[in-house]
Amino acid sequence: MTVPLEVRDIWYGYPGGKGDVLKGVNLAVERGEVLAVVGLSGSGKSTLCYCLSGIVPHIYQGNLRGQTLIKGTPTTSMKIPEIATRLGIVFQEPDNQLFSPTVEDEVAFGPENLCLSREEIGERLELALKQVGMEGFRFGSPNQLSGGQKQLIALASVLSLDPEILIFDEAMSQIDEQGKAGIKSVIVGLKERDKTIVMIEHDFDNLDVADRVLLLRDGVLQPFEGRL
Amino acid sequence: MKTGLKGLDPRSKLVLVLCLSTLGVFIQDIGILTAVLCVSIALSTASGSRLFVLIRKFRRILWLFVAIAVIQSIFAPSGRVLVSLGGIKLITAGGLYKGVAMVLRMSIVMVSATIMATSNSREIVQGLVQWKVPYEIAFMVSVAIRFLPLLTDEIKNVVTAVQLRGIELDRIPARQRVKVYSYLIMPVVSGAVIKSRELATTMETRAFRAYPKRTSYMVLTMQRIDYTVIITSLITSILTLILYIKC
Ligand SMILES: Nc1ncnc2c1ncn2[C@@H]1O[C@H](COP(=O)(O)OP(=O)(O)O)[C@@H](O)[C@H]1O
Ligand SMILES: [Mg+2]
Repeated sequence: MTVPLEVRDIWYGYPGGKGDVLKGVNLAVERGEVLAVVGLSGSGKSTLCYCLSGIVPHIYQGNLRGQTLIKGTPTTSMKIPEIATRLGIVFQEPDNQLFSPTVEDEVAFGPENLCLSREEIGERLELALKQVGMEGFRFGSPNQLSGGQKQLIALASVLSLDPEILIFDEAMSQIDEQGKAGIKSVIVGLKERDKTIVMIEHDFDNLDVADRVLLLRDGVLQPFEGRL
Repeated sequence: MKTGLKGLDPRSKLVLVLCLSTLGVFIQDIGILTAVLCVSIALSTASGSRLFVLIRKFRRILWLFVAIAVIQSIFAPSGRVLVSLGGIKLITAGGLYKGVAMVLRMSIVMVSATIMATSNSREIVQGLVQWKVPYEIAFMVSVAIRFLPLLTDEIKNVVTAVQLRGIELDRIPARQRVKVYSYLIMPVVSGAVIKSRELATTMETRAFRAYPKRTSYMVLTMQRIDYTVIITSLITSILTLILYIKC
């Protein structure tokens, strides 16, 4: 069986940047596995997420060698919207991920792009909001939510695309304790449903939901031994 | 459900706003402009806009209006001189008339625009899409509108950052203050650009532009009141314009 998410010897430097940020990253994440990646600020964790999700090289070009494979298909041979149905990503900053006036509009945005029928969009909308426990906020404005609730809506907006792989890029760093607990319990639920999960973390307290922890240092992944 | 003008389809509001602003732009007569402004205020209030809250919020800028009227009247002097200073005609009857007309015109455009603001951005996008505007363009418009609050957020952040470093912007002399603000332009703009780039990336990672078409969960339907509003505003404004040109 093919691995859901695999990285083969990726080297990457930003256009106009000073040299490579990633220097030979190798990685394979299994179905139902939660992999955590830790590392100092500026060590290239977000860059790794971009490489996993096809944002590199589709949005940020630059100098990329090596391959990311999603269920055996290289991200370079898929377009971003195509990748979006297989892999979802939640970023660090809640406010930069919400652009709709109501929660319903936000979560429906993805399925609408996939040209699903209105009935199916409605079903996905309800399911996604239920998964993150935000059904009660459906008709409200995302602006009035707390940071943690905003991240839950950003996550629901990704879940409505029904991806098998989820990437969290320090998704818990800008939110309060209650919000963190909310996101973590959703991650546990997703793992039980056999999703493949990569979470970037700087807070060691959040590593308890992870099956495996790796450290990104000097552009390569290595086993994590409790220190950065 | 919202009723009356409050539940109006964004497309009807758009027609209404376009009619009012067209009248405001073309008409020169102060009497008619005042009438149009009164109608705009009435319709804006009836549509449930927060007109008076906004006026209170921006009351400092209202002085700008008076300034514009005066400047207009200085640069286009005509008719009887009302106030003069050392041989320069400061305020003339004709100039004042033009200045007041200018202020009325700007007020009409702004007041009628508040009618549009009673629909949320998604509804406006949907109105445009159902009018066969390509969805990419419609969403681009809504993201552009989203850019404005991003910019003000960014200005607030940067000003706070400056104040946290112990610089009291209110206390330093005007000339230096201008200098400080000019240093802030770059971080503000680059911050807003980064934010909007992240926003665009997010949209793409949610399958935006997957296909040339897209479905919509929200569907707008025109009610009888929408047709009434569209037809009434078109007929009234065309008649007003014809009568105005003829007389
Ligand atoms: N868009 C970009 N252009 C050029 N360099 C970048 C860009 N984004 C990040 N970098 C650089 O890449 C390195 C890794 O950044 P990043 O992946 O954001 O680290 P982390 O997420 O671990 O904090 C940093 O040195 C940063 O300056
Ligand atoms: Mg980062």
